[in-house]
Amino acid sequence: MSFVHFNRRSVIKMTAASIALAALPRAARAQQLSGTVRIWTFLSSEGQSPREVVLRNIIGRFTAAHPDVKIVVEPQPFQELETKFVAASAQKRAPDIIWMRDTFLDLVNQRHVLANLDEVFSDEFKTKVVPDLFPVFAEKSVFDGQRISLPLWPSPAQVIFYRKDALAEIGIEAPPLRWDEFIAAAGKLTKGERLGFGLPTNDNSVSSFINVLSGFGPSIFDPSTGQFDITGKEAQETAKIVRQLVQNGSLSPTLLNAMGDDIQDQFAAGRFAMVQAFAPRFQQYRDIAAAYDGKQLAVSAWPAFGDLPPSVLLGPYWTVGLSASSQNIPAAAAFLESLYTTEASLEWGKVAGLVPDRRSTLDDPFFSSPEAANIRTFTELLSAPGALTFPQRLPDITKVFPVMNTALQELIGTDESVDAVLSRAKSTLGW
Amino acid sequence: MSVSSSGVRLHPERALTSAARQAKLVGSALVGPALILVIAINILPAFYGFYLSLHKVFFFANEGYVGLANYAALFSDPFAWQAIGRSLLFTFCSLAIAVPLALLAAMGIRRLGRWGSLLLTVLLVPWAMSPIVVALLWKWILVPSPGGLVGALFAAFGRPPQDLLTDPMLAMPTLIAVGVWRNFAFATIILIGGLGQIPKDLYKAAAVDGLGALESFYKITLPLLAPSLLIVISMLTISYFNEVQLIIGLTGGGPIRQTNTLAYLLYNTGFVELDQGRGNAIAIVMFMINMALIAIYIRILGKQPGAAA
Repeated sequence: MSFVHFNRRSVIKMTAASIALAALPRAARAQQLSGTVRIWTFLSSEGQSPREVVLRNIIGRFTAAHPDVKIVVEPQPFQELETKFVAASAQKRAPDIIWMRDTFLDLVNQRHVLANLDEVFSDEFKTKVVPDLFPVFAEKSVFDGQRISLPLWPSPAQVIFYRKDALAEIGIEAPPLRWDEFIAAAGKLTKGERLGFGLPTNDNSVSSFINVLSGFGPSIFDPSTGQFDITGKEAQETAKIVRQLVQNGSLSPTLLNAMGDDIQDQFAAGRFAMVQAFAPRFQQYRDIAAAYDGKQLAVSAWPAFGDLPPSVLLGPYWTVGLSASSQNIPAAAAFLESLYTTEASLEWGKVAGLVPDRRSTLDDPFFSSPEAANIRTFTELLSAPGALTFPQRLPDITKVFPVMNTALQELIGTDESVDAVLSRAKSTLGW
Repeated sequence: MSVSSSGVRLHPERALTSAARQAKLVGSALVGPALILVIAINILPAFYGFYLSLHKVFFFANEGYVGLANYAALFSDPFAWQAIGRSLLFTFCSLAIAVPLALLAAMGIRRLGRWGSLLLTVLLVPWAMSPIVVALLWKWILVPSPGGLVGALFAAFGRPPQDLLTDPMLAMPTLIAVGVWRNFAFATIILIGGLGQIPKDLYKAAAVDGLGALESFYKITLPLLAPSLLIVISMLTISYFNEVQLIIGLTGGGPIRQTNTLAYLLYNTGFVELDQGRGNAIAIVMFMINMALIAIYIRILGKQPGAAA
């Protein structure tokens, strides 16, 4: 029997060779990737908001690893992304990568303009990264067995932001999680020119009415049609909550068609104690706080009805897809994968204050630090018992939010009966 | 008799016809490209828009011919009629303020001489700006919380901030004010040109006849300004009736449909609800209303004595 004798030098050589061998496929892939990848998102690669900074860093890292690939970000108005993408696809000038709201996925999918990501992702990504994403979001992107997008920035979407300092004035630390108590607290918080509660009532992809209604849990959506009962008992109760908030002065009857941006700006200026806000904007809200200390900003779930758990409606949220007509699928797929590296997930959390896409990243010490307290709150909300998503196929998605917003404006700004307002909304939608 | 370039004698009538034909050719060559451009970017899309208005088109997919169903749905919708009313309200209120204001400004600027030109340049800035930029600018100015310029003005008079864009009573008047602010300088320029064409001798003769300033205005200025007024009113009508960017930026058609004009309804139907068939039907209806209004103006103002000038 003979023994092969390894000395220290040969061990180092073999190790180096093994590492080089393991890296070969990756290096070969890096060499193969070239050309341009066009991205349509609402973010700008030149912008200064936290999410834009992270996107720029990700692009920087990707192009450093793939010097022959040029990433071109073409920012679009966020509410036009899906529409423009479908129109551009018909004209064969679609971008390679597209940001879309989850609520539009079904509609975009019906036009067959999105690639099946399971066919373009690397095996490693499919086996290690995809299962690491939050299943509640990741599963919603699978239509008839095809994964047409990946969720980005898992978040509880529309939640309640509040000022701890304002709530401290009435001796509470957080908004009550039952509507009767919430209404009373909002009334007490209304003081001078400050309103207890602010709602965006004119955004095309957000409905405060549905957010309040979600306090009744997932059963509000009919599993077979995806509709909710606009004139049903729960909707009537929701309308009464709105009217009570108006009656005690928490909601202003002259602030009827504010958009999310208006609410954000006016909250920064101190007009509200609590508002409905888009969770991924938390850091932005903090940064622009003018009338109060940004550190006083905190987040809460929506109050519930009766004994039901506090509500968290997980959507609309952003997802990212790949064009079926992309001429550079390998590079586009590789870039899409780069949005979900551990490093990227950590950076979305650390710089932009977002819940990381990769659940395993939450083990990083940063997410246990006081700095990440709100990210922990967001993460808890994602798995809260009252968490629910919009149905995968919500009918009349282009009409339902504007129609319900007009109904909400009527509930806040007129004395018309609840029945009349809700019946009109129902008839407008033809449900 | 004339001699052609080849030395052949031509009959005078023939030579004249040839020259006229050449002039026609030159004219066609000059106008042709512009005409082709107008046909390509205005006429053909208009016909295509009409074609689409007869189809069910949703989210860029043509789902088939539906005849006049889009028009029937539009005219049976009470909110569409309300939108037509809001469009006319916005258009005529804006005109009623912008045109007299522009006329006053035009007369004032003519008297100011060089300083008037400077003032006009300043007044023209809003017109040169994109409407959506104007909307954003005014949104910041009107923000009803500390930091808003108008809010600060209210505060200086001990008044609380007013929700000028979100109060159902105030949204439309505010929109009209911003619309007037943006467009009246354009009208002023045209009226300055019109005033410059009125012979000064007429005013001198009127003074000799003992006419006062007000009488001169009614009997000389206004009638002779009719062609310019026709242009101003027609262009502003089209501009106000079709205004959508200011509405998108300032009020989003709200509150409670108070600023939901026909142009905004078109935007909402075609670009938000993505019902492009009905959106095109609204566009065709808007075109017809625009044409009807302009025909009325031509009928009324075209009869004025100065209209032939």
